[in-house]
Amino acid sequence: MSGPMRIATGDETIPFTFDGTTYHARPGDTLAAALLANGVGLVGRSFKYHRPRGIMTAGIEEPNALVTVGKGGRAEPNTRATDLFVYPGMVAMSQNRWPSLSFDVASIFGLAAPALSAGFYYKTFFGPAKHWMLYEGFIRRAAGLGNAPTEPDPDNFSQRAGFCEVLVVGAGPAGLKAALEAAEAGKRVMLVEQDAVPGGSLLRDPDPSIDPAAMVEKIKALGGLVLLRTTASGYWDHNFLTLTQRLAEPGEVPAHGFAQRLWHVRAGRVVLATGLIERPVPFANNDHPGVMLSQAVRSYVRRWGVLPGKRVVIATNNDDAYLTAAALVAAGAEVVALLDARATGPAAPAGVTVYHDARPSSVTGRKHALRKVTALIGGSEQSFDADLIAVSGGFVPVSHLHMQAGGKLEWNEEAQAFIPGGTPQACETIGSALSPPPAPAVAPAGKAKKSFVDFQNDVSLADIDLAWQEGYRSVEHLKRYTTLGMATDQGKTSNMVALSRLAEKQGVTVPEAGLTTFRPPFTPVTMGLLAGAGARNAGAHVRRIPLHGLHEAHDPIWQPLGYWFRPRAYPVNGESLQQAALREARTVRTVAGLSDVSTLGKFEVSGPDAAALLELVCATTVGKLAVGRGRYTFMCREDGMVSDDGTVWRLAQNRYLLTSSTGGADRMAHFISYVRNSLRPDLKCSVVNVQEHYAGIALAGPRARAILAALTGAEPPRHMGYAPATIVGVPVHVLAASYSGERAFEIHVEATHAAKVWRVIEAATRAEGGAPYGLEAMELLRIEKGHVVVGGEVDGRSTPQDLGLAGMLNKAGGFIGAAGLTRPALSAPNRNNLVGLISLEGAIPEGGMLIGRAGTSPQGHVTAAARRILEGGAIALALLEGGHKRHGEELTVTSPTRGEKARVRVTSPHFYDTAGERYRD
Amino acid sequence: MTEPTSIIALPAAPLHALEIWSNPQAVAVRVHKALDFALPAMNRSASNAAITLMRFEPTVWLAEGDISVLADTLGDDGALTAIGGGLVRFRLAGPGWRELLLEGGVFDTSAAVFPVGATAATVIDHVGVRLWVESEDACIAYVPSSFAQSLHHFWEEALPLIGA
Repeated sequence: MSGPMRIATGDETIPFTFDGTTYHARPGDTLAAALLANGVGLVGRSFKYHRPRGIMTAGIEEPNALVTVGKGGRAEPNTRATDLFVYPGMVAMSQNRWPSLSFDVASIFGLAAPALSAGFYYKTFFGPAKHWMLYEGFIRRAAGLGNAPTEPDPDNFSQRAGFCEVLVVGAGPAGLKAALEAAEAGKRVMLVEQDAVPGGSLLRDPDPSIDPAAMVEKIKALGGLVLLRTTASGYWDHNFLTLTQRLAEPGEVPAHGFAQRLWHVRAGRVVLATGLIERPVPFANNDHPGVMLSQAVRSYVRRWGVLPGKRVVIATNNDDAYLTAAALVAAGAEVVALLDARATGPAAPAGVTVYHDARPSSVTGRKHALRKVTALIGGSEQSFDADLIAVSGGFVPVSHLHMQAGGKLEWNEEAQAFIPGGTPQACETIGSALSPPPAPAVAPAGKAKKSFVDFQNDVSLADIDLAWQEGYRSVEHLKRYTTLGMATDQGKTSNMVALSRLAEKQGVTVPEAGLTTFRPPFTPVTMGLLAGAGARNAGAHVRRIPLHGLHEAHDPIWQPLGYWFRPRAYPVNGESLQQAALREARTVRTVAGLSDVSTLGKFEVSGPDAAALLELVCATTVGKLAVGRGRYTFMCREDGMVSDDGTVWRLAQNRYLLTSSTGGADRMAHFISYVRNSLRPDLKCSVVNVQEHYAGIALAGPRARAILAALTGAEPPRHMGYAPATIVGVPVHVLAASYSGERAFEIHVEATHAAKVWRVIEAATRAEGGAPYGLEAMELLRIEKGHVVVGGEVDGRSTPQDLGLAGMLNKAGGFIGAAGLTRPALSAPNRNNLVGLISLEGAIPEGGMLIGRAGTSPQGHVTAAARRILEGGAIALALLEGGHKRHGEELTVTSPTRGEKARVRVTSPHFYDTAGERYRD
Repeated sequence: MTEPTSIIALPAAPLHALEIWSNPQAVAVRVHKALDFALPAMNRSASNAAITLMRFEPTVWLAEGDISVLADTLGDDGALTAIGGGLVRFRLAGPGWRELLLEGGVFDTSAAVFPVGATAATVIDHVGVRLWVESEDACIAYVPSSFAQSLHHFWEEALPLIGA
């Protein structure tokens, strides 16, 4: 291609760049149209052989013209130039080439094509392993197409629900008619079209009797929703479809900050008016720039006023390409030959010579521009000077959504194509997809090695033949061995051509050869679209504790905990995390500290059968609790494994408060709901999740009782006692529970008043020499005390016996998990038991394996490691085979991944105040 | 000039979960007599000047307002549990509130299926929320306090998309 291919009219007002050169486009131009108009025919390089590639189609099926568009984090690789509308300032770059598109060093791979045939990388697995080490680096460097941006995407992505009685996919003539009829019948209609304007094939072949824009206005006036630049990308069960809407073009700065929207649509009925995709024709060098699909050529001529070639050869096996000949002639091009593979055809436009029984066999060119087309005409070769060949190998109905919906396909012999058949969902296909034009099978001419079938993956007819020779019979195996039909185009132009070749090799019909499965998405979707709103943190909304703002004033180190963020430590004077945590833990041991425990799971259970429900949920006794008392409890799964732990408190005769772990709170909510609503709906009780209603403040340390007494004006309850109280006029629940090993209280207060209560407790604590403490100090305290944590020692594989909790089990049974615990295997002596470890030498690596000596199998692992808070020295909790009976043994903890090792002695898991004296006043 | 769609966080209000576990018909009669309206059906609400009841679950209602009269009608057939500390109320008001709820939403907010007085327990962008159609121009969203700031931000960001 040389020189502009569209006469400038002054409408070329939109500047854009391609590979750094500035061009101008007209409003409504795709990048492909604009490049062709500006005389740019070389747009990319192929994946494997780095062959020069141009623009082949005018739609979403484009396999060749892939570009990276946009800058920085907004850059989008592998975007089809044919599905990208030019906007002012667009920056597009070609891909897969170095140092430039026209001179690409890696095109030398094309010379090595005989060694890089189908499945070549599988063959690299044969032979000595050291050879693979050589291949691997090369293959990894060559893999992939385009470069993902390294900067964060600055745009937002919307996800929206949609509902309609009739969803019409495709705003071509059939889709417009169906949508308008449904709207006129009073139906709630959605019409979606992937193009920027409605019309479909009418944009290429206008019909004066149909005005797409007017029809769209009518549909809208009747209440219909019309979405342009929207692709129905997935069809799921129950007429649920996902639509991808472009609110801005790729790489464009979106007007409202949102680049794309993912629609979740539930439709009563779906009408698929998805049309046809034209098939290319295999012949030697059919991937050369200047080889285009016939309908695409017609689109560029009629829709965009671009003439992609001045001397054109047309090759076809159907009547449709004759329309292209007429369009080209009308636009002033010379159609030097119309090669019709059939014996007869319709009348050709004046001045066009038609050759019957004629097929292209090869093309050649120079400087990436097409120069010559060679054809086999009636058995003889003949060449034509041409700068463009427009090919049509027939048509493939776009049946992807139909198949995703579970629909069947039927073989149409005349068209050599699969057309949509029955479907189990409320869905129908209409329009041209049901009746593709007749197009007989044509035997390819030209060298198979250079006759490309899948342009994206450089799969040729010879590759299919090779796969066949090597024993790949199933079409699914063929696909995976050759990579046919993979990558961004998913074989939209290649599948049928390849199937025909496979069927020919097998000596069967195409439907007998089979068909691969079409899966969503129909066209590529961005990761941002699937991730959704940028308002989230790492894909999820942050859960803020009620006192978040108060903590923030102390500039703590925050700890993500599920969706929550909690203070991990409150460093002062430049302390490290470890220094701050140790100071905070020592403060708790010696004076008092306060901590935010608002995220604990909390459930209020009331009613005459409340205790009965709790004795089902909890593995410990509950019914005998006196009003004003509480106890430690834990819960089991049906299989007997401990799933969570917490405390249960009798607030009043028929009212209890159950607390559970932060990490397990949502799971516990489901569990209790299941027990309440499914297992025992007959119980007269109410279970309400009050996790967020109450904020929780833990006050712990030898001065805690005095601080609380001063604030409430009353003697606090003794250990595991409950009392209602008021602090600065705010009603609170005081639960005398300890996780730290010190005399401690949980003060639960309605979250809206929590800040007021925290402030006075903090002030009183600081006045005593205490301070707030975070999760890291809490971890030091609980490890030293030997308390288990869900997700650590409670790992879903531990029984109450394993954790040393068997003595607390409800002897009467009846709790969930009681039956599971009777299984003999759960009493086996070699089960992993909770133990303590004291270091004899070195710090104990958390997560390390416990071994007897080097080279022996692991006998357990360290679940949590810490140091003694006041005395110093490394300690840890661990799960060890038969650990209960191994106290005193010496073992090695090893962490090969970190290169750390320690010598330890096995002990009881309780390192601090084993008699519980510090709980007593 | 059309008022823009707005999102306003409302002051804390007394909110309780009302669960009835036995004698539902008898309780319904007592409640009707005491409050002068019938217990609302699933996904519906009813109210008087002092209290609004919204039904989101088969045996559970959300009670907003003064529960003193209601509490006296329950006897041993049900319970009220305070939950107001864990919920933030937002009023989504203006012509675009229905469209706004489709952002990150999963259910049909059109007036035909979600009329004035209707309620829904649903998820918005994966966050569990309860909704009550206060009037044709406004909907109240009851959002878990922990997610309130983030969801408010999510809605504010989505506002420019309404009608776009």
